[in-house]
Order: sequence, then C-alpha cells, then structure tokens
Amino acid sequence: MWKPYLAFAKKSFLGRSAYRFEHWMGIFDTCLQIFIFWGIYKSLYGGRTQVDGITLSAVTTNFVLSMGLGAAFSVNENFLPSKIRDGSIANELLRPVSFQGRMLAEDLGNATFDLLFRFVPALLIAVLTIGIQAPAGGEMFLYFTISAALGYGVLWTIGFVTQMAAFWLINIWSLRTIKNVFVRLLSGSMLPLWFMPDWMSGMIHYTPFSSIYFTPVQIYLGQLSNGEIVGKCAIQAAWIGGLYLFGILLWQRGKRKLVVQGG
Amino acid sequence: MDEMIQVKNISKTFQVNKRAKGIPGMVANMFVPKFEKRHAVRDVSFSIERGEMVGFIGPNGAGKSTTIKMLSGILYPDCGEITVNGYVPYKQRKSYVGSIGVVFGQKSQLQWDLPVIDSFELLKAIYRVPDQVYRTNLDRYTEMLEMKGFLHQPVRQLSLGQRMRADIVAALLHSPQIVFFDEPTIGVDVVGKEKIREFIRELNVRDKVTMIFTTHDMQDIEKTCHRLIIIDNGEKVYDGSLAKVREVYGTTRQLEVEFGEDCEIAPIENVEICSAEKENPRKKKFIFENKKVQIQELMSFLLTNYNVRDLYISETEIENIIRKIYTLGV
Repeated sequence: MWKPYLAFAKKSFLGRSAYRFEHWMGIFDTCLQIFIFWGIYKSLYGGRTQVDGITLSAVTTNFVLSMGLGAAFSVNENFLPSKIRDGSIANELLRPVSFQGRMLAEDLGNATFDLLFRFVPALLIAVLTIGIQAPAGGEMFLYFTISAALGYGVLWTIGFVTQMAAFWLINIWSLRTIKNVFVRLLSGSMLPLWFMPDWMSGMIHYTPFSSIYFTPVQIYLGQLSNGEIVGKCAIQAAWIGGLYLFGILLWQRGKRKLVVQGG
Repeated sequence: MDEMIQVKNISKTFQVNKRAKGIPGMVANMFVPKFEKRHAVRDVSFSIERGEMVGFIGPNGAGKSTTIKMLSGILYPDCGEITVNGYVPYKQRKSYVGSIGVVFGQKSQLQWDLPVIDSFELLKAIYRVPDQVYRTNLDRYTEMLEMKGFLHQPVRQLSLGQRMRADIVAALLHSPQIVFFDEPTIGVDVVGKEKIREFIRELNVRDKVTMIFTTHDMQDIEKTCHRLIIIDNGEKVYDGSLAKVREVYGTTRQLEVEFGEDCEIAPIENVEICSAEKENPRKKKFIFENKKVQIQELMSFLLTNYNVRDLYISETEIENIIRKIYTLGV
C-alpha cells in the first residue's frame, strides 16, 4: 500500500544529496540567519538580560529552534505549479497513486534529509557558539518533537492549499511570496509573539501561523502546562485537518478546470 | 464481442485568452481580459472492442490528444460519458490508471537526469509490479525494441528515437490491457518509425492489447490498424475500415512542382491546383486521381509548357483525405 510512496520519499531523499555545494551552502545559510538575529537581539537588549520579563536566552532559543526547524521543514511549493505550467501534470495523473500522497512523500523525503543534515549540524553550531536553553525536562522535549511534527503538518497544508491556486492562476509565484511573508512574520520565528501587543498576538492565535514554530518552542521552554499542551496540539491538528480538507476541495474543483499545456 | 471502451457524446471546451497584438494589447488584457471558447472535442461517440487496434487520425489541433486525455482520466469531459473496462476514467482515476498504459509522444515520463533503468525501477514500485512480471516484460520489450545499448544511459543523452522507445517500454511494464499511443512516432526518423510500428503491431496481435493510436501520419495507420477514426475540428468525420478509406484516397496522387518563374497555370482537367507554400507563389501542388490522369502525361505537359525547376510526388496528406470525405462522403 505505502510502497510506492516510500519509493517517492527515497527518490527525493537521495536526490537531495546530489548537489553537495548546495547542501553546504544550506547549512551556512541557516547559521548565517541565526548569527544575524543573534547580533540584532544582543544589541537590542543592550546588555540587559531581560526586557518586559522576557529573557534574552528565551528569545535566542526561540529563533535558533524556529530557524533551525525552518531549514528542515521543506515543502516544494512549486510541485503542482511547475507541473501545470509545463504540462507534465498529464504524466503525473497517470500514476495509480494519490497525488497529494505523492507530494507529501517527496516532501517528507526532503525534510528527513534536511532534518538530519541541515537542522542537526546548524543546531550543533548554534549551541556550541551562541548557546541556547536546555529543554524544560525530557518529557517536554518529547512533547516538543510531537508538536514540531504537527507544526510541519500545518506548514505543509498551508503550502498545499496555496499550490492548488495554480489550477486557476497557473503562475502563483507572488501568491507564494505573500504567503511566505505571513509565515515568517506571524509564526514568531523572527519576532517572538511575546513582543507583539496583546490585540495582535490575540489575532495571530486565530491564524494557523503561530502553530508552526511558536507552539513547539513554547513547549520546549516549558511555558505551557500539560493541559495547555494538549489544547495547543489539538489546535495544530485541527488546522492540519481543516486546511487539508480545504485543499482537497480545491483539488477536486481544480481537476475539472485542468488544462494540459503544450500539446 | 465485449466492448472495452465506450464513449458517448463527449465534448470539451477550453477557454482561450484572446489578446490583441503588442503592448497596447497587453495592457488592455491586464485589466479587461477577453476569453473565447474553443471547442476541442464536439459530441464524439465511438466504441472499441477488446483486443481491437484503432487508428485515431486528424490534423494538428483536431482534438485527438484531448480525447486521449479524457480517456486516460486526466481531463474531465464537459458532458457525455466514458466507460473503459468498467471504469469511469475521470471519476475513478486512481484505481483505473493502473490498468492502462499511455505514451505521450510529446511528454516523456522518464526522469531526465537518471539512467533509463532507474526510471523503470521507480515505475515498478509505483505500479507495484511483481518482480517476475517486471523481469519478463523488461527483457522482452528491450529485446524487441533493441534497447540493450542505452538502458544505462541518462535520458538526457538519448536521441529522440531512443527516448521514444524507452517511453513506450515505460508505459508497458505493468502489462496494461489497454494502451493509448498519442503520436508515438512524432519527430522520429523513418527507421525508428518502422521499428515502433512493428512493435505496436506485434503487441496487439500477440498480447491482444486493446489500443488507440493517434497520429497525423497516414503511413502509421496504414501499417498498423484495420479500423480508423478520423476527427477534424473536434468532430468525428469517419469511423470505419481502413480499406474503405483507401479506396477513396488510395487513388489520389499529389505532385509538387517548383517553377522557375512566376506563372499562371491554366486549369487542367481533373487536376486540382493549389499553392504549396504561402510565401512562395512558384511552388504549386497538383492533386489528381490516377485513374483519370496519367502522371507521366501531366509531368510532360508541365515540363514542356512551363519552366519547371523541381518536382516530386508526395504522400497524400491527411488534410486531403478529410477534404475528400467532406465532399464525397465515404
């Protein structure tokens, strides 16, 4: 049943390692981002250890973890648009596999590779140079990994829905760019949501974006009670379910509109 | 006989963006895009029996590929019904496509950067082909299509003819009962074409595979199919035996002549004269029945009366056959 999907995951996992230079640059890029933010926050704190009750070490832990995860959370959002653009969607639809299953399998193959060979090295470098807080206990670390996996699910389903727009628009580059701005800004990876005014963070909690990186980080730092953890993870799962269903609805509609370009 | 493929009154229209020329047209299109409906397929019906091989022929843009894409579950027809082997292709895509094979001459399904064999292995996994079946099919088809030499070469280094053969094998590894060939000979040289035709014929005769074969090359059909469906402008204009069509067009000959100077050709009895190229008024086509006009007479007439630079007898084009069907009926 899952054998074809495993083959797709394996193919993309192996394909990821084909370009060595790209891989080294990927690690470098993640470290560079982390160091830049480290510099910015250090000078913003200006020697103090906490601002508004938020410690510099918590802020650092937040951006190291969320940027590290960001490097591992790979979603190929060009998958459907590129296939529609060049007409190879025709070949894809001839495979006796679920299209979304295949998309997920390939992304998971890439994400596994990036988790092992980008997230881990970048995290090690960051821990050894800047240093981050230790997780609030082994139990919390376990919940963190679960919540991080769910976070990937949320990011993936957002991308899934965005891609479906390609059925109508063909070229969705700007749509993706706008979506990425929202993800970066509202997920709390650049600017922790603690710093946002109440009305704004309240609003952000009604969007899926805070479920991506911020929820796992909060769990990691031990800021949530067990009850809250269950609640937040349920919200993550609800976003995944809701967005996925919406994406499927678009897929069903889009298929009817499909135009195979180029003969 | 049981019917494998049934198509009832299918139609498909596309919206085409109609845009005026140049920069003013582009600007106008940004704010007020105009769309035009184009009928790719109009009210087409046919049925095909198990083990039958049918040629689907028509000029470029006739709707052949669109029909094939609807039959393979890729496109939804706007209206009408399709049943293939008990499935409704566009509704039961996932379970249906495992039983068919499709070759798109214009779109390779092989992985560009990988050796041919790696793409085959991936397909084996996707279609869940048992090891034994995979080995037998691979050995047999690579043998028949003489592919041993380039099985381990990356696809990007193959010639068009080699790639096409590899694509054909790729579509057959899971032993489909139905195969759609969409222009499998496009751009392939004469020797390559012949190999492909021979293979397709053998597949039909020996394995009883049901096939539809689209092309705009009449030669392809002549050498493979007994039954022929001609479509033009999205509509079916003929559905019947090849022999019957041959009776009509088989006697038609076409002579292309290039004259040394601009000249008006006086009408010749029983010969249709038209220009062969738009830009070049000196090139003319002479279409005639070889029962009514002797080719050597026509040639000597032209050679003695006009300044002829070059001339040759060309194959009958599908457009001529279609025109005859419209004017004479079959």
